[in-house]
Amino acid sequence: MNASKLFVAGMALSMSATAFAAGAHDGGHGHGATSGEPGKASEASRTVTVEMYDNYYEPEEISVKPGETVRFVVENKGNLVHEFNVGTPDMHEAHQEEMMMMVEHGVIQGGKLNHDMMNMDMGNGHSMKHDDPNSVLLEPGQSKEVVWKFSDKGNIEFACNVPGHYQAGMYGEVNFE
Amino acid sequence: MKPRFLTGLLSLLMPAMVLAGEYDLTVDRVKIDTGDFVKEGIGYNGASPGPVMRFKEGENVRINVTNNLDEMTSIHWHGLILPFDQDGVPGISFPGIKPGETFTYEFPIQQAGTYWFHSHSGFQEPDGAYGSIVIEPEGREPFRYDREYVVQLTDKHPHSGDRIMRNLKMMPDYYNREQQTVGEFFSDVSKNGLMNTVSDRMAWGGMRMMKADVEDLQGFTGLINGKGPDQNWTGLFEPGERIRLRFINSSAMTYFDIRIPGLDMTVVQADGNNVQPVSVDEFRIGVAETYDVIVRPKDEQAYTIFAESMGRSGYARATLAPEEGMEAAVPQLREPARLTMADMSGMHGMDHGSMAGMDHGDMDMSSSEGMGGMDHSSMEGMDHSNMQGMDHSDMEGMDHGSMAMGKKEGPSDPFYAKGSGLVPTAANGGKFLSYADLKAQDPLYEDREPTREIELRLTGNMERYTWSINGVKYEDADPIRLKYGERVRFKFVNETMMTHPMHLHGMWSILDVGADQWNPIKHTVSVQPGTTVYMETEVDEPGQWAFHCHLSYHAAAGMFRKVIVEGGPESTQAKTDVIAKDGGEV
Repeated sequence: MNASKLFVAGMALSMSATAFAAGAHDGGHGHGATSGEPGKASEASRTVTVEMYDNYYEPEEISVKPGETVRFVVENKGNLVHEFNVGTPDMHEAHQEEMMMMVEHGVIQGGKLNHDMMNMDMGNGHSMKHDDPNSVLLEPGQSKEVVWKFSDKGNIEFACNVPGHYQAGMYGEVNFE
Repeated sequence: MKPRFLTGLLSLLMPAMVLAGEYDLTVDRVKIDTGDFVKEGIGYNGASPGPVMRFKEGENVRINVTNNLDEMTSIHWHGLILPFDQDGVPGISFPGIKPGETFTYEFPIQQAGTYWFHSHSGFQEPDGAYGSIVIEPEGREPFRYDREYVVQLTDKHPHSGDRIMRNLKMMPDYYNREQQTVGEFFSDVSKNGLMNTVSDRMAWGGMRMMKADVEDLQGFTGLINGKGPDQNWTGLFEPGERIRLRFINSSAMTYFDIRIPGLDMTVVQADGNNVQPVSVDEFRIGVAETYDVIVRPKDEQAYTIFAESMGRSGYARATLAPEEGMEAAVPQLREPARLTMADMSGMHGMDHGSMAGMDHGDMDMSSSEGMGGMDHSSMEGMDHSNMQGMDHSDMEGMDHGSMAMGKKEGPSDPFYAKGSGLVPTAANGGKFLSYADLKAQDPLYEDREPTREIELRLTGNMERYTWSINGVKYEDADPIRLKYGERVRFKFVNETMMTHPMHLHGMWSILDVGADQWNPIKHTVSVQPGTTVYMETEVDEPGQWAFHCHLSYHAAAGMFRKVIVEGGPESTQAKTDVIAKDGGEV
């Protein structure tokens, strides 16, 4: 029991750090590639609607200019919980381990999110809230926005890191013009 | 074999007929070279395995099957939903195909995914009469891949199916090389003490089973797409590509544990039906099952597809590589699993008389490690305080399954008996697929209460090599009668110590994994020794169907039933009467 609590607390810590710790994952690549930073809606040059199905996106690729701020309207049109997360492949891989824990702890249950579990205080103010600015986690029928300012060119994908979904092909390419 | 499309005039006359593919198959005597031995066998279009039949969901297919053998034959389209008189089981769906005759199958393709086909006559299937079916869906797949390969496994034996059956009938342990030896007896004595060892052996003898009966047919060469381990079937890829591997187990008797060292496998389909993707390091494929996985090799190197038989008596091997001729290390076979007493907890029929002298206290200990050869001295330091929560009253009823005290040590899987010696573990310590991981991607049926339950006890007597259902073999049994429109819950109770892959023809098996509306639909359901497994069937196809264990020699020995669906759209009833009169072999 104690071990699993520690586990969860550790996960909460790492989850809130995801978006910005990502640079460290890519440390070896020299350019310190990041996916960008949260954008302001007022600076968004345009709105892109991304529909999530079981288990794929429409569209499966988008083009952006370096430094462009895009307002994404993300709609879950499937029957399962899906994520929309902007990041590098390494960031996604790291986040997949956290999402696996969310499934193991019953936070994600097929087509449902256990909000009580997500909001539970794990001590030290940590929780399993999925509230990173580079991603949204949606139940079927839900719609949310992500405003993202892309950085310079890099290997960026939008991806669903619910266990198995990315591996099955639920990701899209971000192409820099 | 190219489909000939009936276009032009026909499509003008019949605008409603979207697509019609015509295919030809010949059933031939062929040579099968495994690399270990060359053997005469049976194949399709001159080869074993036969071709990959590629269909498209929504098309109507006509398949002309010409029998070039000097005996009757048949083709069963395993897992396909079709009119019962196209299902290809002699004596149930049709009389069979005579030597020299061409029989034309004709049916609509109403599903997508990976399936296979095989002869349902005698032992033609173990002799080589099998091939694969790939059906492209009407819409897009719920996953992505850049290329795909069929990976079809079999357990090719140097003996013909007829000879194997004769030998098994004469001497059920004829092909069981893993039996415990006299030497092993004495080493058990020194470890466990004479009385424990003797009582353990008496118990196994009393059940008319040998302790190593994980596999009752050894001595085969594992083939992948017709190639033995040394012939090394190779699938090519470009690094970074996503590859869909369509695994099909066409073995007569052998379950395989499959892994690709260095690659995660994401399971996206089971028995042709999409499942919510689950990434695993290894999975077990039962006889007649299919699993589709997606792998993504990123490095410019070869990867070994390694398929160890469940009883570790043999393996199949293939390679994924950037170019022909490259190969990766081939792992060693792991130690064979040993059944424990827990695996026999379902054996109500066992002879308790011979167990009188047995110390049950020791029995559960040996099951706790999942291995017969546990060192009992290490149990001295066991913390008995952990046992306080144990309900000792359970032990009166001798439910060995609930007595597995070493659960915290050994692997567990809800589809194996507690303390079972058969629970698989991944070679790299990672994730091993369980039935409990299978969830339907997009449920085919509304979830509803079953209208009734039918209990099917899987029974057998290893000493006489008889296999049966509810203690009655096929030739002595009445058919199972179902009513069109009902939803039946089947309760499988495995009272034997072998695993049985149960296959209901013509209608889906909704496997109860406890996920309600997300329960996966399959065509073949493995039932492990000492376990009870439930599946439900929406009785939505009229006619009469086969329902049997897919281990070839178990089916032939009598673990087989005819299922009759009563009612339904008119005209089907009249047809079943005609076939019933024809009778014939199965």
